[in-house]
Amino acid sequence: MSSASRRDFLKVAMAGAAGATFAPARGRAADKTVTFLHETSFIPPFDDFFQKTLAPAYEKETGVKVAYELTSVGSSPTRISTIIETGSGADITIIFLLYPFLYADKLMDVSDIAEEAGKQQGGWYDAAREAAVVNGKWRAIPHSNIGQLMNWRTDWFAEIGVKTFPETWEELYEVGKKLKARDHPFGFELGHGFGDNHGWIYPLLWSYGGHEVEADGKTVVIDSDETAKAIDFARKFFKDCMFDDVLGWTDPSNNKAWMAEQISCTNNAESILWFANRHFPDIGKVTDQAQNPQGPKGRFHLLDCQSHAIFDFSPQKEEAHKFLRWLTAEKQLGPWYASADSYYQPFLRAYDNAPMWQVEPRNIPYRDAMATAHLPGWPAPPDRRLAESVAKYVIVDMFAKACTGTSTKEVIKTAEGQLKDIYKTA
Amino acid sequence: MSIRTESLITLARPRRRDVSFAGWLDREAVFSWLMMALPLLFLAALVGYPLVYGVLLSLEDRSVGHTGHFVGFKNFITDFHDPVFWRVAANTFVYTIAATLLKMVGGLGLALAMNQDFWMKNLIRALLLLPFIVPTVLSTVAWMWMLDPAFSVVNRILIGLGVPKPGPSWLGTPLLAMFSIIMINTWRGLPFYGITLLAGLQTVPPELYEAATIDGASGWQRFRFVTLPLLKPIILIVTLFSVIFTFADFQLVYVLTHGGPQNATNLFATYAFDIGMGAGQLGLGASVALMMLPALALLIVGLTLYMRRA
Amino acid sequence: MVTGHGRIALFVRVWLPVGFFLVLALFPFYWMAITSLKADSELYNQRLMPLMLRHPTLQHYVDLLTQTNFLLWTWNTMLVAVVSTAISLVLGTMLAYPLARMRFAGAGLIAMTVAAIYLVPQPLLFLPLADVINRLDLGNTLTAVILTYPTMLVPFCAWLLLGYFKTVPKELEEAARIDGASRLQTMRQIFLPLCTPGFISAGIFAFTLSQNEFLYALIFLTKSSVRTVPVGVIAELIRGDVFYWGQLMAGALLGSIPVALIYSFFVEHYVAGLTSGAVKG
Repeated sequence: MSSASRRDFLKVAMAGAAGATFAPARGRAADKTVTFLHETSFIPPFDDFFQKTLAPAYEKETGVKVAYELTSVGSSPTRISTIIETGSGADITIIFLLYPFLYADKLMDVSDIAEEAGKQQGGWYDAAREAAVVNGKWRAIPHSNIGQLMNWRTDWFAEIGVKTFPETWEELYEVGKKLKARDHPFGFELGHGFGDNHGWIYPLLWSYGGHEVEADGKTVVIDSDETAKAIDFARKFFKDCMFDDVLGWTDPSNNKAWMAEQISCTNNAESILWFANRHFPDIGKVTDQAQNPQGPKGRFHLLDCQSHAIFDFSPQKEEAHKFLRWLTAEKQLGPWYASADSYYQPFLRAYDNAPMWQVEPRNIPYRDAMATAHLPGWPAPPDRRLAESVAKYVIVDMFAKACTGTSTKEVIKTAEGQLKDIYKTA
Repeated sequence: MSIRTESLITLARPRRRDVSFAGWLDREAVFSWLMMALPLLFLAALVGYPLVYGVLLSLEDRSVGHTGHFVGFKNFITDFHDPVFWRVAANTFVYTIAATLLKMVGGLGLALAMNQDFWMKNLIRALLLLPFIVPTVLSTVAWMWMLDPAFSVVNRILIGLGVPKPGPSWLGTPLLAMFSIIMINTWRGLPFYGITLLAGLQTVPPELYEAATIDGASGWQRFRFVTLPLLKPIILIVTLFSVIFTFADFQLVYVLTHGGPQNATNLFATYAFDIGMGAGQLGLGASVALMMLPALALLIVGLTLYMRRA
Repeated sequence: MVTGHGRIALFVRVWLPVGFFLVLALFPFYWMAITSLKADSELYNQRLMPLMLRHPTLQHYVDLLTQTNFLLWTWNTMLVAVVSTAISLVLGTMLAYPLARMRFAGAGLIAMTVAAIYLVPQPLLFLPLADVINRLDLGNTLTAVILTYPTMLVPFCAWLLLGYFKTVPKELEEAARIDGASRLQTMRQIFLPLCTPGFISAGIFAFTLSQNEFLYALIFLTKSSVRTVPVGVIAELIRGDVFYWGQLMAGALLGSIPVALIYSFFVEHYVAGLTSGAVKG
């Protein structure tokens, strides 16, 4: 990284004002190049593996160059909407959450690649279909899940006699009460972040049987006993196990709180364990990960599926299609997953017992959680109305307001009003 | 103003109309319009056009990647029905008014304190501008850490005084969160206010103070009847800038709380961004952003009238 | 007000209030500085008094400079700021001079329009501007921000310069006109050289606004090599949900010091230019 950045700096400085950074990207090089838009990986070896091993291998085999364009974590939606609006900029891209649905008609139908991979590599988890199949056609090839799991301090839990992670929310609540009294509260995000708040709130809601909108995409069903139960639980969970600040937390807050040893339990992706192992090994030793607790109606997890999609308007789309097919073959996919240990959880069952899971066995629950993972807003169809609800934090704020004292009835009514407006039902 | 004799004579002589091209260029109107052409074109292209475009967008049902259909005022009606929208509007007004008042009063105090001669004054003046210079997003990240109850110095003091651990949650409680963003905005803008007002103070002729003292005016009366009236024009200008910037503020909230907790710190700019860039609803996002214009115009007209009257 | 000249009076009159403001203004910088010098283990330790520094380390600075494109971003930021400021000063002058010196039909209307443009806030324009930039295929180029920054800088510069221009005495220009100079010559050779303080003050303010800008840069610049400091630091020192706090603070300090240095040279002129325009304008 360092030599690359220094080289970049010198290059630009030398070129001066007339440098390449001023001119718009002109046409392609003489030989074919496929531009692959990706977000910087949390695990640098993953990106390195692509740039140093995969891309050169493909070029050797086919003569086609693959340009790996990296943009920072979280900025690909902006970049993708730009590409779609202008009709150019990249050929294949990473894509996640509800975006395959929002942009479905701009993405190439890749059902052939998906079917082939499914046959050859053990079949897809259902969650993969949920994330990438729009109206019967695969619009993206799911690459991996970045799951959200419970992180817990084994040492502090052991102090009160708890050796394994609680099975149900109620049991977790009892543990939380005791731990808060010992100055080791829980910390679950209730603010306006993006991942960590949805990561526990939606599974909580689902595990009590609550839903926003039915699968028909029309009926707003947030006002139900199940929702009320989930909210009541969240309220006491907050009051008795957490502290005020979580109401204003954004995604990095629980990571910081974990390293500062402020909290004993939270939900997060693998980043807490990864960071602790590298920078705070003593904390890493006593950190473990577990699936979400169960509610009366089951156990659920949030699905954050990273997929790869081809832009249908790309002049290179045939080349991109060939490349994606090559990339999805086990020969390439397997080692690429392995380069990131088990940070990326594959959606193909052939990898269920891959050696990479043994590198950090505490990540295995991420693999198991996929069977019960769903997109935010499930079972409502992922469309722009759902996207609007998520962007406006309707469900998050409903829970957060309840935690600060507003009555369950009122918060449900507000959320219902918002959803009805968004879904334009009477 | 001294008038030279030659110019008097020139004025007395009747002017011949210069009908050459150069002469035409020199006519006031021609010269002016030609000179202003480039900047006006620039502004028309990069402000005027987007503004018109933005207005049209707000009247369309347009999401990313799809063509828009004209829907009239539907987006605005959606906004008016949206409780979050009204919360956002209220937040923006409260934020702007509170922060501006604090900056005005604090800035005046700073200016008065600095309007004296002392050692290293120039260095101190430059140092005081640092909050204004440092990129907002970066200082906001620092504030994020400073406001974390586990690390906050204020919380430590309060806990020492008997407040139960962990102390107030500056970013988790809606009221305190609004207080926090007002405070950070004030911290950032007060020095700029102060230094500018200081410059104004330095142009007040000392004779006026002397005359007032001779007439028996107290310190406070001197301030009220000599200083303040002379400072009014500059207070007005700085306040106008400040109001416009604060009203349209985006960075501070985006980095600190992203509008939380529960929309307590959500402003027009951040809400429009979430809707437009997060949900891909360009039309709806534009409608929220457009609502800033009448609100801002109202604030400014009110401010100007008040200043003119007082 | 205390008017004595003794030591104690001096303290109360000057150092107490000034000191108060200094502490308020600079305390966060002290925090930034010690955070950037603390190793992670000390930084995250909530039992330690956060205001003290036990084992300073330069590791965060080293990481910032070697593992990120910080130097590149700094270069980009300075380049963009200088060019945008230059453009804005030129365009601002072209607007302000006629309004300050000439009488012509429509002058009032233009003045009001420029002021009104200033009212149009960034968050409203960013969506349509993003579209314009995309259509011109300027996404991820510095040109995108160099073109868009003046939209917020030009009205301000014009306004400020207008006020300043009005305070410049007219005799020299009138003399030049009588001697036969064209308006253009008068403007360029006689008038503008007199206005240096005004340019400096407008220029400094424009420069500061420019290097502080975030929203347009966030939307137009997604490739690391073209980013400016604010966006680069926020986007890349925050990987997902992990904040590299030490490096962030180091970046904040390194990002503000060059501008602060520039300010310290020009603050006299900045203040002078700002006032004469405002008070008499």
